[in-house]
Amino acid sequence: MNDNHITDILDNAPVANLSESELQTIRAHVSTCAECERAFAAAQLSALLMKERTSEAAQSAFDANPFFQTRVLAAWREQQTSAGAWSLRRLWNATGALVASMAATTAVLAVLAFAAPSADSTTQVQAAVLPYSAESVVLDQDQDNKQLTNDQVINAIYADDDEGK
Amino acid sequence: MEGWLTRIATNTCLNLLRSAKRRPEILTSDLSNDETDWLENVSDLSGSESLNAEHKVIAVDLAERLLETLSPEDRLALTMMDGEGASVNEVAEVTGWSESKVKVRAFRARKKAREALEKLLG
Repeated sequence: MNDNHITDILDNAPVANLSESELQTIRAHVSTCAECERAFAAAQLSALLMKERTSEAAQSAFDANPFFQTRVLAAWREQQTSAGAWSLRRLWNATGALVASMAATTAVLAVLAFAAPSADSTTQVQAAVLPYSAESVVLDQDQDNKQLTNDQVINAIYADDDEGK
Repeated sequence: MEGWLTRIATNTCLNLLRSAKRRPEILTSDLSNDETDWLENVSDLSGSESLNAEHKVIAVDLAERLLETLSPEDRLALTMMDGEGASVNEVAEVTGWSESKVKVRAFRARKKAREALEKLLG
């Protein structure tokens, strides 16, 4: 049963992926069991063969086209030389929308800060220059009456009367 | 699109492998002297040490012969997981198998390969 346990560990994952605790378990068992020692050696050999076969296949694919390396190196050098401009373009692509929206917001805030107060001050100047008429004082309900003193109201009413005489 | 093409390529390769003749096992008598010598001394080579050119050729030849003894599905699972270092999820994605099937295939393939090599190691 113990032997089966060791082989289960060996067959459950590639030898290279075994954890340290699994390897310790295997080594402890292998030191007392010749069968499992051979099984462990075979598993290691299997992993080695697979690794060598894969690296050979990769090398063959690389060697299959002699111009592949040349093309890759040329593309890499070209990318290196244009790295500065390329990175600026990439930066703009990533942040362009954000920068544009920030500029638009700044423009709107500038318009609100400079244009709106000047319109308000014009109204105030006009209000100070224009004389109060009796009709505007009595009938204009929208105006805030608290801003007018009693003297201003009386002056406005009697000024109209004086003009009538 | 990429996954679809990968799946088609995988299935085509599997069909080709199924149609190829499968060798039942590797016999010690089939090995050359160089291969026998290499197997006798392979335990001296540590896993991290890289093999020289001659040993690489022997190792690749043995690997091919070992894979020929496996079914196409087991061969694919062993090659992808132990050779290429693919995860169970990646193999399942490429082959269209369930993750359980990938695990079972890889387990059986490792066991068959290990047992075949045990016989060769004596």
